[in-house]
Amino acid sequence: MNSSSPEARIALVGHPNAGKTTLFNALTGQRQKVGNYSGVTVEKTSGEFFTPHGNRFELVDLPGCYSLSPNSPDEMVTRDVLLGVQEGEAIPDLVLCVLDASNLERHLNLLLQVIDLGYPVIAALNKIDQAEAQGLRLDPTALTETLGVPFVPLSALTEKGFVALKQSLRFPFPAPGDRHWHGSHAVEESLSSLEKVATEAGLEPPAAHALQLLSDPSYQDSDHLPEALREAAKKGPQLAGEISQVRGEFVHRAVEAGLRRPDEKALQLTDKIDAYALHRFWGWGFFSAIMLTVFWSIFRFAEIPMGLIEEAQGALGNWVGSFFAEGDFRDLLVDGVIGGVGAVVVFLPQILLLFFFISLLESSGYMARAAFLMDSVMSRVGLSGKSFLPLLSGYACAIPGIMATRSIPSAKERLATILILPWTSCTARLPVYLLLVPLLVSGTGAQTLTLFAIYALGTITALLAAKFLKPRLGPAEAPQFMLELPPYQKPDWGFILRQVWDRAFSFLKKAGTLILGISILLWFLETYPKSDSADPAAQREASFMGMAGKVIEPVVKPLGWDSRTGTAMLTSFAAREVFVSSLSISYAVDEEADGAEDKLRDRLASAKKPDGSPLFTPLAILSLLIFYIYALQCLPTTAVVKRETNSWKWALGQLGGMTLFAYLAALAVFQIGSLF
Amino acid sequence: MNSLALDLKRDSALTLSQAAVGCEFQIKQVEGSACRQLREIGFCEQMRVKKITHGRNMLCTVCGTRLALSKDLADQIQVVPA
Repeated sequence: MNSSSPEARIALVGHPNAGKTTLFNALTGQRQKVGNYSGVTVEKTSGEFFTPHGNRFELVDLPGCYSLSPNSPDEMVTRDVLLGVQEGEAIPDLVLCVLDASNLERHLNLLLQVIDLGYPVIAALNKIDQAEAQGLRLDPTALTETLGVPFVPLSALTEKGFVALKQSLRFPFPAPGDRHWHGSHAVEESLSSLEKVATEAGLEPPAAHALQLLSDPSYQDSDHLPEALREAAKKGPQLAGEISQVRGEFVHRAVEAGLRRPDEKALQLTDKIDAYALHRFWGWGFFSAIMLTVFWSIFRFAEIPMGLIEEAQGALGNWVGSFFAEGDFRDLLVDGVIGGVGAVVVFLPQILLLFFFISLLESSGYMARAAFLMDSVMSRVGLSGKSFLPLLSGYACAIPGIMATRSIPSAKERLATILILPWTSCTARLPVYLLLVPLLVSGTGAQTLTLFAIYALGTITALLAAKFLKPRLGPAEAPQFMLELPPYQKPDWGFILRQVWDRAFSFLKKAGTLILGISILLWFLETYPKSDSADPAAQREASFMGMAGKVIEPVVKPLGWDSRTGTAMLTSFAAREVFVSSLSISYAVDEEADGAEDKLRDRLASAKKPDGSPLFTPLAILSLLIFYIYALQCLPTTAVVKRETNSWKWALGQLGGMTLFAYLAALAVFQIGSLF
Repeated sequence: MNSLALDLKRDSALTLSQAAVGCEFQIKQVEGSACRQLREIGFCEQMRVKKITHGRNMLCTVCGTRLALSKDLADQIQVVPA
């Protein structure tokens, strides 16, 4: 045996929220995002692990699905892998089906469908402790007898029952059992005739394809199948409804045999909380209070670490500066590298706080409630609560948000969501907002409210854009909304810390690479070519940046910006945060005139126009803010939109459209504001 | 079951969206464009469902799980008092 390849391939299948990803992480030790709402696991993830018998297996985490009749693109992947028609994917040797023991009835349906495909299956009865806490009494032996596959009770979170699970993965795997149910004469007849066509077409295994074609009408349109088989399935009787009813009855009998429920149905904690959290009046109060607390904390609690970072940055600049004689090299290190990168790194605490809160809401189960509440708002613009989940992730970063749209069943709603998503303000904009908002208003309360208003403005415009776009994207569809509300639970602090840590790491990586590189480049463009004058202003005008500024000036002047702000805006098309570094490098040349104060914000506040009037008037700041709320300045987002919509037309149209909109909105604000 | 009893039973069926809040029901029939989707998420014949709130999106519990369901989906679920 080749020691470099695993002995078998095991596929993990289960509902979203069944704890599939937690089980995957616990088995393979690989880190991966765990979410509390449907559709987080959209990427293919695989890892390896050893059993107590010394076998090495590959584990593939398939996208979560409620059934093998897919309603969204990610569910389709799961079905196609299991049927062996997914391109580039080998057929699994065994399926590990993860079931939520506290919701057994719903989860058995999927298990039955996997067994029907003819796989050797092991059923992991996850969340067994939660089920016991609810007073449910499960009988794994009875379930094993009824369904013919081993049931292993376990808890992925506490790793209880893992030894038993690994021991049940004994190699070679048991032979798969037969189908447990028999349909009507019509069903059985259709199955055997489809099986005959599949055998002739050379599809393996023919029985599984026949059953899938009959039970899942969407499979009849699959491109992976030979034409003859699709035709045969379409011409034959359509019996999907009957099959799902027969399966449902079988599951019901299995549950009767293997599950005892508590008699009294006490109002549980989740019900008590939901009575308020989903109340049509209190629910909104609760929602607003949570959102305001989040934004207030971002300003309030981040102050301490931010002060420390600023001090450390100043001390580092002085310390490094003391080693070098005055000259260009010292300027490059102190103003370019330490100043440019430091200006962005100082916002790390605030970004991490926002991520902390989003992970906390996700992990505690509140996120789905927010989606439920928002559905009434979203439906007015033609979206549903399902779009709210990706949009909310968009506040952290547009890229995971866009990927999360894969869980939206309607293709049209998904496209509309992707197109408007960059208008939910992501954390890359936060450094810009945090720099500008205190210049506009003072006091934590007023700043929190302003920041809240900024987020609200982006969101409202996004929703209005959806209302405008949705009817233009295709024919109308009937709205159908179905959302699972998981029970409230104690936050998984390990998960939250991992999320925050991953974010901190990727932010610092960006600061250390992209932003560092751009800072050095910007410093160079500011410094060369040299002018003969010792006056910093004359030097600035003579530099490459000064030249670029002159070109851009007529374009940004109607927005109330000067040429330095204009060039900073241009550089931020690489990444929004660069705006702050760029301003920090541009305005560092005024330092001598400023005296001891070296904080960027104070430098901006005291910046003057040539005629001596203040440069950053409230109106000019407002116009800058408006521009940053609306502009799509993130090339990775455009790349992801291209990948997800499979079209450059949408990706580039979105980039151009949002930039133009941002410019016009900033123009309107400044010009109309100037009239008063 | 004689035909009179059968008629009575059929008459007592109502859709989940018409059903009263706070009561337990048994699902009698799932019928409509989304019936497959509904069965797969747990709304199968004979299952017990408890309705929690009315509204454009109603809340209910089926097999111990809370679900929010839009009215046009709830219209496809026929229930009888349990």
